Formats: sequence, structure tokens, C-alpha cells
Amino acid sequence: MTPTDRPAVRLTVNGQAVERVVEARRSLADFLREDLGLTGTHVGCEHGVCGACTVLVDGRSARSCLYFAAQLEGACVTTIEGLTPTDGPSPLQQAFRACHALQCGFCTPGMIAAATELLAANAMPSRDEIREALAGNLCMCTGYVGIVSAVEMAAARLSPTVAPAPAARAPETAP
Amino acid sequence: MKEDVRLVAGRGRFIDDLARPRMLHAAMLRSPHAHARIAAVDARAALALPGVFAVLTGPEAASLSGPLRPLIPTSPAVPDFCLAVDRARYVGEPVAAVAAVDRATAEDALERIRVDYEPLPAVVDPEAAIGLDSPLLYPELGTNVVWHDTLTYGDVDGVMARADGVLRERFTIQRYASTPLETFGGIAEYDPGTDVFEFWTNDQRPGLTIASLAGALGVPQSRIRLACPDIGGGFGNKRRPAYLVICALLARKAGRPVKWIEDRIENLTALMHACNGVMDVELAYRADGTVLALGVRDIADEGKNLLTPTQHNLIKLGNIANGYRIPAIRYEAWSVLTNKCPSGANRGIGKPFMCFAVERAMALLARRLDLDPAELRLRNLVTAEQMPYTTPPGAQYDSGDYPATLRRALERFDYAGWRAQQARGREDGSRLLGIGIATSVEPAGTNLASYEIITGRRGASGSAEAAMVRVEPDGTVRASIGDPSSGQGYETVIAQIVADELGLSPDAVHVDRGFDSTTTPWLYLSGNYSNKFSVTDVGAVVGAAARVRDKLLRIAAHRLEIDAADLELRDGAAVVKGAPDRRLALAELARTAYADVLGLPPGEEPGLEARHAHQNPLAQPIDADRRVRSQLVFSNAAHCCLVEVDRRTGFVKILKYVVVHDCGREMNPLIVEGMVHGSTVHGIGAALLEEFRYDEAGQLLTSTFMDYLKPTSSDVPDVEVDHLEHPSPFTPLGAKGVGEGGAIPGPAAVANAVEDALAPFGAVIRSLPITPERVWRLMRTAP
Repeated sequence: MTPTDRPAVRLTVNGQAVERVVEARRSLADFLREDLGLTGTHVGCEHGVCGACTVLVDGRSARSCLYFAAQLEGACVTTIEGLTPTDGPSPLQQAFRACHALQCGFCTPGMIAAATELLAANAMPSRDEIREALAGNLCMCTGYVGIVSAVEMAAARLSPTVAPAPAARAPETAP
Repeated sequence: MKEDVRLVAGRGRFIDDLARPRMLHAAMLRSPHAHARIAAVDARAALALPGVFAVLTGPEAASLSGPLRPLIPTSPAVPDFCLAVDRARYVGEPVAAVAAVDRATAEDALERIRVDYEPLPAVVDPEAAIGLDSPLLYPELGTNVVWHDTLTYGDVDGVMARADGVLRERFTIQRYASTPLETFGGIAEYDPGTDVFEFWTNDQRPGLTIASLAGALGVPQSRIRLACPDIGGGFGNKRRPAYLVICALLARKAGRPVKWIEDRIENLTALMHACNGVMDVELAYRADGTVLALGVRDIADEGKNLLTPTQHNLIKLGNIANGYRIPAIRYEAWSVLTNKCPSGANRGIGKPFMCFAVERAMALLARRLDLDPAELRLRNLVTAEQMPYTTPPGAQYDSGDYPATLRRALERFDYAGWRAQQARGREDGSRLLGIGIATSVEPAGTNLASYEIITGRRGASGSAEAAMVRVEPDGTVRASIGDPSSGQGYETVIAQIVADELGLSPDAVHVDRGFDSTTTPWLYLSGNYSNKFSVTDVGAVVGAAARVRDKLLRIAAHRLEIDAADLELRDGAAVVKGAPDRRLALAELARTAYADVLGLPPGEEPGLEARHAHQNPLAQPIDADRRVRSQLVFSNAAHCCLVEVDRRTGFVKILKYVVVHDCGREMNPLIVEGMVHGSTVHGIGAALLEEFRYDEAGQLLTSTFMDYLKPTSSDVPDVEVDHLEHPSPFTPLGAKGVGEGGAIPGPAAVANAVEDALAPFGAVIRSLPITPERVWRLMRTAP
């Protein structure tokens, strides 16, 4: 196959079946943003380091700049649009807001995807575990303190069996 | 924050999220040589590729556009076009550009452009660039030195001669950049029907950029529209009018809109680096630790920066005293061109190096005098009683209690406790712990009159911003400002300010996203830079809101046949004081103002909109002794950092980091705390990780995030923050700057801590970043 060949690909994106003909060289990030109009996935480095383009592929975090769309035949892709409930922000998104876990917001969709994967695997991660899990996602604005607090807060809210962890700071708005 | 609602859902609108009908995508061909004559460029094969609509070469660009206008002109003036014309002067300098149906096709076309380069010797070291035998970037200038001058305030030589001692040391700083996660980019569109150029871009300084674009494109500013959407971080880096000129020329040639989004390698290679440089510091002192004089010889390596050279120098001069009472100061400045990426604004601009040099010298002086480094600082910091205090070069520290800030930091850090632990670790040889202290001042607002120190004549001057507040015909409220936020939460803070003035809930105030020159009020000085929000922007918003408030009260007073002084705005209505049932809702007052205008007081202009520009009064021209307030109000901070060095690997781990700062009145404490966290991590990155490394031929060795290392969540600690609050008497709400924050003292605090940890080896840290390899060598080769 050459870069400009145009294979067809069928996959599921945010729960919807999608079938498209794409250039073989089309990255998943470009496919999501330009072919599907899902611009919530941001592109920060295009070489797999910054994590801004992180999405979930079959539940696992993946750098959409490093995948070719044509590789994803049969896969289930979830982007920030799919992680945002129609009736308002998710507990994780609420916690990001409450903990001031974003400034410019460019890293946020990727952070939320990575944190979603973490919380699915580890319902009550420690701050060190959160820092370790998010170490593949760069944030140039916050110094990470608010992000770690937000994931901690979301974990506490999402785990009914465990007493809520003390919030790092007062939430800005009531949940 | 208001803006978080969209941002957490991925519903922000960043430059790469925008599209125009029939839009093309641009790519740029860049020089692989640090210095080369361009003998010929042949782009015919590129234009022949299907899907390619326009190609632009350097010579064409020079015929279709004028040079970019510099802030500091060289003498003689040398033209700086949007593309390299006959000479490339750094690796990554654009030499040609293509517009095609998509980015991939445009990049394919670049491979078909033939450039005949004749490589020339490159100069990458700024001291070598000063030498008479150096290769010259601009032979017509006869030198690589843009500016060299010595500014002396007080009897520096006399004081040095009489002092008990003079500490002399040389420090260097590396090239680094804040690298916002969103890269730079823009869309240009040309409408031949109206002869208007439209731009959408994440440029941080739209006022200045509109002037640059109009000048280069040869069109009046009235026929340029520029709009900024959400901006994914800026830190000073997001500005390069040349790229927008390239897009504009391509768009006009192709007859279609053209988008260009910088990729990360282009960003790291060619957008903007903080100057690297060399500083020779002389610190004269009395035996009791009193600092008597400071002499600094500073060489700023500008790379190929013809637009804003000397900026780092001037800002260092404004911050040179670093919060200390130093009666005599001399600053010898060199601003030097080399064959490297252009320097430019980067969080703190020059102040991180200035602070690094002074705070490193203070640490070494404490060692020399066997004084506790905290005590040495407490003896020299400007005190609360001395406020306002003017430094010899003319900076005015307006407010604050610098010693109290440091004492609070020591207390929060448990300084005495950690010193005891450190001593135990040294005695039994178990741990290499180090404690670093750095204090700093952080100015806000830039007074462009300071450039007169260099040019000898007045160009732009002062510090100002413009804002608009409008009650719409249905009574809802909207505000807008000439400073596009790049993550500072302006929509939230501006809504708070307007809501306070108009007696509303902040939720009831809509703030326009970004900037649009056709609807946003703006000045040449408008933009997102220099910590200026607290100094000028707040005044603009307060002023505009106050005008609207007064008008609302006048209309209500007329309608209610009562004196305006007996009314107040509260809960979305004008209410009679003491008779809350007598009220007129904003919607009703707006109806009068826009629709039922015969109901207005006699002579009152219809409509409910006010624009206001605020000029901070502290900005003044330079005086006869070349003193100037180059920046306007000063925050301050004290950082305490605890590190542990791994003997085997040289790896430095930060165990604890405490920041106590004072930025005056905090309009939104959550935003302030976020700024302190983020800026401190910028300082840590510069101290330990980040470096644009060039080889001797001028090739950049760290051009991806694999080798240009940014701090990750697992590299940095939970920065602990506490604050004092001494409002500035010179800003409308008493707020001071906080955006640059920890980026200024952070490198010094970490370096002081590592050096302290390595004290058993007698190591001295003179350069950054402090990589494991450098630490490992220091443990084996020092002193």
C-alpha cells in the first residue's frame, strides 16, 4: 500500500458506526478532526510525546497522532465528545472545573481520556499513582497540581464504597 | 471558570478548529543550514503537482510585500522579509511556501522545490559573534552587535574600591521556551471585492501584529481584520507576523483562504526561544553582608531576531536589583545576533536569568561570609517601611513586605527542621539533601518608552488597554477586551468585575471569546503580554462598566423622577435605596435606551454601550539620567526548594517546594494559585530539563519533545503556595501581576538547592539545566 492509496475502514466512534474511505497516511487524529469534525481531540506534537491527542481505543488510551485511521478496522474509538454526557459534564469533567485543573484547556481532552482509563483500572489511585498514570500527557499551564487533585476528587465521588477524600480546595461550583 | 464549561468538553474553538470555505493548507520549506547564501530557488515542479494552488519563494515575497517593521530598528535598517530572500540565517528559516488542497499535498510539493544553497560559516556562540573576525549575519551592518551600552547609576567603581570585598562570578543560561501545547497558526483570506485581508490567528499581540501586517502587505489598517479564537497557551511565544504575511500572500495568489498550522518541530526549531546568554556579575559587600553595589555585564544571544532585539536586556535592567537595596548599579548590555532561532518573549523575558545571576551570587556570598542564606537576604531586602522604593535604574517597587514574604516561606517550609535533617544526612553520609532559597520581584505592565534608552528617541510609549461593556437591547450584558486570553481565565475575571460594577451575578455577564478587530476595542498596545492584565486591563473594564453604570442610573433617575444618587444597581435592576420595591430592571432601562428613546433624559445619547481605555499613570518617559519605569507595579515572592541528589546517578529529585508570594489583591484566588503552580513548574523545567542545544555548525540537536524535555506530572512535586496581600496603590483594584510568577525565581531556587546538596563536594553551579550528567560530573570534578 502506498501513502496515497485509499482503503476503506469501518469502525465505531463514540458509539456510532462509521465507514469511510481514507488515505492510507491519514492519522487517526486527522481522521477524527477533519473527516468526522470531532475537533475536541487536539494535536500538540504529532510525534507521540505530548499526549494532547489521547483518545480511547477499545477502552485503552492511545495517541491518535500515532495511529493510522486505516489500522482501526473494527475498533471502538472514544473521544472527548464521547466522554461528555449529553446532559452535562461527567464527574471527572466537573472535578477538572472545580479543581482548576485547566487553564488554556488544550491538554484537557487528552488528560480526561487518560484519567478515564486510570479510573477504570484503579478506582482510588494515590496522588503518586495519578502522577505516574498521567506522565504521558503534557500540560504547559497548570503545573499538574490541579489535575492530580481533580482526578483524586473524581475518584472519591465515583467510589460510593469509600468515604470521600478531602478535597484539595473548595469547589468553585456545587456539583 | 466560565470558559471551562466548553474546554472540559473539548468544545473550545482553537485556530486549527476553524475552517473557511474553499480553504487551502500551507506548508513551509525551511533552511537546513544555519547560514547559507541562497543562489537560486526553483519551485516550478511544486506548482505542477496536482492539488497545489500557489507557491511563494523568497524573491517573490520580497517583490509582493515589504519588510516586517522592527520594534528596535538597526542602523542602518536592514530589511527582514517574511521569507529568506538571498540568505538563510538559521536552521528552520522559511525559504519557500506552498498552498495546496491539504497539508499532506503541500508537504509533498515542498519536496519538489529545488534550492541551491551555498553554505557560509555560522556563528552560534554570542561571545564569538561579538569578535571582529566573526561571520556576519548582515554584512551591511558591519557587526552582529545590535546594541552595546553601559548604564551606570551611582558611584559603582568608588563603592567597589572601598568595599570589604567583591564577589565576581560568571553565569550562563541556556536557550529554552515555554512551548505552549497548541502551536502557532493562522488563516488568511483576501477579498478582492473590498481589498480586505482577514486573519484568524492565535497571535497574542493583535494590536502590534495588525500594524506589522499592514506595513508588510502595504494595505491600510482599515482594510485588515484580525480575530483570535481560544488560544492554547501563549507565554509570549505566540507571535510571528511573518507567517501571517506568507499566508496572506499565498491566499491572494491562490484566490482562496489559506491555513497554516505550525508543527511541533517547526515550533521548537523556529518560532521563538528565550535568549541564551552570559552574565558576569560583580557584587560589592560589607563584611556584615550588606550589598553595596552590583555590576553586571550581560550578553544576550538574540539568534536571528531583527524584530525585538534588546527586549531581554531592557527587562533585565528593570529587574536588576531583584528586590534588594543596592545603592549603586552598573549594567553593561550586549544584544547580539547569531545563526540561531529568533529570540523573543518567553514567560519572564530576561528576568529568570537576571534573578538567577543575582540569587546565585547571593548564595555564593552567603557561603563566603558563612552567613545563613536566608539571613543574608533579610539584611538586604527592601522593607515595607521603604515602600514605594525606587531602584537606581528607576524601577519603582510600589508595595509589599519582602522580608515578611521570605519569613513566611521559611516558616511554611520548616526551614529550621530541614536544615537539621540535612546536617544529619551529611554527618552520617546517608543523604545529599539541599535547600535552595530564591527571592524575586515580578513586575507587571510594560512601558514602551523604555526603548528610548536604546533608540534615543520616543517611539511607542506607556502601557494601556481598551475594553467595552454593553447592555444589549434585551438587558443582557456583554463585555469585550483587546487582550485575548491564552488561558488566564479573563472571561471569568472580567465577568466578576463587570458584575460588581453593575450589581449582577457574574453568570449574567457574557464576555466575548478572544479578539476581533472589527468589534473589540483595541489599541496598538493591545495584547496578552507582560503581566499587564492587573495594570491596564482591569482599569479598562472598570472604566467601561462605570460609564454604563452611570448611564443606567441617569436613565432610571429620569424615569423614576428621583436623584441618581438615591439609586443603586442591584440584582439586575436600578433600585431606590431604602425602597427596594421601587425599581427598574436592566431590560426595562435597555428598552428605553435602544427602543423608546424619547424616554431618555434630555441630551442623553441613545444606546447603552461604553468603551474605555485605561492608561496606567506610572508609565512615564525616561529621565535625563536614563532612568525609567520600564515596568510598572511589582509583585514579589520567596521560593524554598528541597532536593535530594542521588550519589550514584546524579539524579535530582525535588522533595518539597514552597512558594509564598504577594500579588496584591487577588481578584480570583483559584486563578492566582494556578498561575503560581504553572509558572513555578516552568522554572523547574528550565532548571533541570529544558535546553535547545545547538552544535557548532548551528544545527539544533533538541527539536522534538523526545529530546527537548518538558516537565511531566511525575517529574514535579505538589508546589505548596501561600500568599501575603499588599494591594498596589497604583492599580484600579490593587491587583498586581502574577502570570510570570515562579518562572522568574524558580531556576535560581532549584540551582541553589542542588548546589547546597553538593556543598560537600565544593561544587558551584554556573549554568543550566542541571542534568544528571552535569551533577554526576560536579560530584567528581569540583571544585
